Amino acid sequence: MSKPKKMTLSRKHNLTGWVFLAPGALLILLMSFVPMVRALLLSFKTGVGAAMKSCGILNYTRMFQDAVFVQSIKNTFFYLIIQVPIMLVFALILASILNNKNLRFKGLFRTMIFLPCATSLVAYAVIFRSLFANNGIINLLLVNLGILDQPYSFLTHTWSARIVIIIALLWRWTGYNMVFYLSGLQNIEYSVYEAAKIDGASAVQTFFKITVPLLKPTILLTAIMSTNGTLQLFDESVNLTDGGPANASITMSHYIYNMSFKYVPNFGYAAAMSFLILILVAVLAFLQMKVGDKRD
Amino acid sequence: MYLFLCIVSFISVFPLYWMLSAATNKSAEVVAGRLIPGGYFFENLKNLLANQNVGRALGNSFKYAIILTVVSLIVSSLAGYGFEIYHDKAKDTVMSIILLAMMVPFVATMIPLFQMFSTAGWLNTTIGFILPTVSTPFLIMMFRQSARSFPHDIMEAARIDGLSEIRIFFQMFIPTMRSTYAAAMTITFMNAWNSYLWPKVIMTDATSQTMPMVVANLTQGYVTDYGMLMLAVLICTLPTAIVFFCLQNAFAEGITGAVK
Amino acid sequence: MKKKLVSILAAGAMLATMLTGCGGSGTQAPAADNGGADAGAATEAPAADAASGEETLTVWCWDPAFNLNAMYEAEKVYQKDHPNFKLNVVETPWEDIQTKVTTAATSGDLSTLPDIFLMQDNAFQKNVISFPDVCMDLTNSGIDFSQFAAGKTAYSVIDGKNYGVPFDNGAVVACYRTDYLEQAGLTIDDFTDITFDQYIENGKKVLEATGKPLISMQAGECDLIMMMMQSAGSSLFNEDGTANIVGNDTLKVVMETYKQLKDSGVLIEVNSWDEYVGSLVSGDVAGTINGCWIMASIQTAEDQSGKWALTNMPSLVGAANATNYSNNGGSSWAVTTKCANPSLATDFLASTFAGSTELYDNILPSGALATWAPAGDSNAYATPNEFFGGDAVSAKIVEFSTKVPSNITGVYYYEGRDAVATAITNYINGSDIETEMKTAEDTVNFNMGQ
Repeated sequence: MSKPKKMTLSRKHNLTGWVFLAPGALLILLMSFVPMVRALLLSFKTGVGAAMKSCGILNYTRMFQDAVFVQSIKNTFFYLIIQVPIMLVFALILASILNNKNLRFKGLFRTMIFLPCATSLVAYAVIFRSLFANNGIINLLLVNLGILDQPYSFLTHTWSARIVIIIALLWRWTGYNMVFYLSGLQNIEYSVYEAAKIDGASAVQTFFKITVPLLKPTILLTAIMSTNGTLQLFDESVNLTDGGPANASITMSHYIYNMSFKYVPNFGYAAAMSFLILILVAVLAFLQMKVGDKRD
Repeated sequence: MYLFLCIVSFISVFPLYWMLSAATNKSAEVVAGRLIPGGYFFENLKNLLANQNVGRALGNSFKYAIILTVVSLIVSSLAGYGFEIYHDKAKDTVMSIILLAMMVPFVATMIPLFQMFSTAGWLNTTIGFILPTVSTPFLIMMFRQSARSFPHDIMEAARIDGLSEIRIFFQMFIPTMRSTYAAAMTITFMNAWNSYLWPKVIMTDATSQTMPMVVANLTQGYVTDYGMLMLAVLICTLPTAIVFFCLQNAFAEGITGAVK
Repeated sequence: MKKKLVSILAAGAMLATMLTGCGGSGTQAPAADNGGADAGAATEAPAADAASGEETLTVWCWDPAFNLNAMYEAEKVYQKDHPNFKLNVVETPWEDIQTKVTTAATSGDLSTLPDIFLMQDNAFQKNVISFPDVCMDLTNSGIDFSQFAAGKTAYSVIDGKNYGVPFDNGAVVACYRTDYLEQAGLTIDDFTDITFDQYIENGKKVLEATGKPLISMQAGECDLIMMMMQSAGSSLFNEDGTANIVGNDTLKVVMETYKQLKDSGVLIEVNSWDEYVGSLVSGDVAGTINGCWIMASIQTAEDQSGKWALTNMPSLVGAANATNYSNNGGSSWAVTTKCANPSLATDFLASTFAGSTELYDNILPSGALATWAPAGDSNAYATPNEFFGGDAVSAKIVEFSTKVPSNITGVYYYEGRDAVATAITNYINGSDIETEMKTAEDTVNFNMGQ
């Protein structure tokens, strides 16, 4: 784990490191932690709009009696557990295929697969809603193929609405994660792959024995980012299903947003719920770091 | 394998094709589900230009996105480099704390942040627009993770040659990590280009409207002109796509030979 | 060991900086706030001076074809007597206006707000109660509120004070495809002044003859529910602000009627607003019931001109005070307390939106129908509309709007609406109506109790 050369870094180098990271760290301190601490103080207050009074931990006990919020936690974790692993594995496979030097039209394929996440949210929402509409293409296809007798209303049924959200997330973010893997793969000598080929390793073996271990830092990065992104999921819930049917697909962030801007604003409560998200992401990220952030 | 890639690409691109064809059709045809490109493109373009100040919005979007990307890459890569190359227990701890900063939903910190910015007099300014996202835990972590593969023996050699630490960063690290920079640039540009909630809160002048705001304006009426909307969305999507296409060779072709 | 100590110290130092940073900014905040306010005043002072000379007002509203257009027309009307008058209209979607108002009011810095902004009628109570500092009391501003439709003005009256100048009309209309009705042997008269029972009977005939449902509605949104409620003058809240869901017989009738509509196939639920508009313009349904502003969307299907007709909505059966009239949507102008020249702002509104038939005539072609009574007498409102079979629809709608029962939006309007939407969805899917109404009331009460 600890190699001698790292131990020999002099005090001066140590200091240099602090200088390097100071601007970035200070900005985060100022732009994120100061507001965060203020939000934390706010989470111990309650009241309508700008008129707030202290209420102790009421907001924190309150959220577990809030049926809609509890539902939103369940929904969000459902998305997390199903969507993140599928997406990351898929992105990894695509990246290793597209890293092949002999592949033709690489640039075109890469751009096409990346394009979904560059698409503006408005278009993406309109397109997905229309794809899954009663008279949309998906229904048309399923009816014509004889799989369905009559169009199925995807967005108004509990499970199909959730699955549509997962499909939409996969569509939008797989290419995004692929970018990090592609970029990470450049730090692996191509000759390693060629040597493996000469040794008669199959594509699958190469993938698990070379690609995955060497990409571990990048995989950790994407795992933490996707976990964070999914627990704060907002766009899809608002724009695709509006949380429905009957709150079956609403996410935590969507509910917090409603509490702040749609309903009679209760910022103390909204802040308290936000800190629950912080705790959840932090625990998960900590576990992922424990598993994946070893220097070896 | 090509078949697989073609299927995946088709699924990825199909909705964009839909957008493209919608931009050439009349609104009523779009909602009726017409998939074939029509001859209404110039009419939509004319309506859009009459309806919204697209030129100004594009100019603003480019201005903010480029400034933000450049500053952000420098600050974040410096920090990521500092965290990894000179890493010790203390810096690892600080890194974990920094990661916490991205885990609170923005809706919760937005109002305290707005208070700070109004106190500082930064409402309706470029600095107000970019400052909250100049340094992101995500980018810092990304550079930290990729600095892990920056060869230490080269650094030692450079030090023996008498290169200062900052020059090692600029002359060796940046060129070596070109692929990471290219990927980071694409992602940062995209996020800056699409950013909406914060700019909307802090920029209230009509003159500082950005492209996503124009798109949002178009969705708000009692009547939505879908043809015009999709054309605006298309204009809003193209720059990121172009940036990606131009940079993808840089981050995917590899330049590992440069240091060896 | 030593390393561990260092890291603990570093973490401690980090925390300390965080806290002092916070405490510091906390204690400095009042002083700095003053600084900010001074700076704001300093930058605004010349602007205010300029305003008294040039008479400029900033306005936020959305929809260029509709609200922005109305403001520009109002500017022209007012400029006749005030040549120096100018408007700076910033196009801002409603949700963004809400976000900005909330953010500014909560932070206590109103300097980013405009002089006048357009507010959804349903959000008026919530915003005035939550942020009492934002909207100016217009009761004694010289605007004559008695000339507006009473049901409309009620949205922006809080504790007997007027906070908004009513703008667009949201009177409910029922539109039908006459060519589809004909195939079922029906005419528009068979749909005028009817009850929902008759509506369902007619709807079945149309479904049989053409295969088209009579109406489409967005699933999970309770627009139709709220329209039905208001047609009988009922609300989800009582006068004192408490929830009125359990034991609300009108709501129960509404929910049962909605289920009948859906079960009979007369009503089809669609997934989204796009799909709803799509079903209208592509002829997938034989009609709709909505606020009169929906006509603008219907008229985008130019090929269907002359095939539509318009009448009043069906009335509820078994509800007290049932009528054929209701309201959905609409908005009013609010003046902010930040406005540097309040007398200019109120005089502008008094002589345009509350005083100019010319303005309302000018904006009529864009579909903006007045709720200001004198405007309805104008000849422009009697002009026949070819799209709707040559009927004088504008005059008809103004007449409808005078008959709309007023209701109580309540401060917790959106909470109530979402809770009832959930109840409806579950009830349609077979859940017990009483249980669902109880759950909805519990949800609303939970949101109200802090």
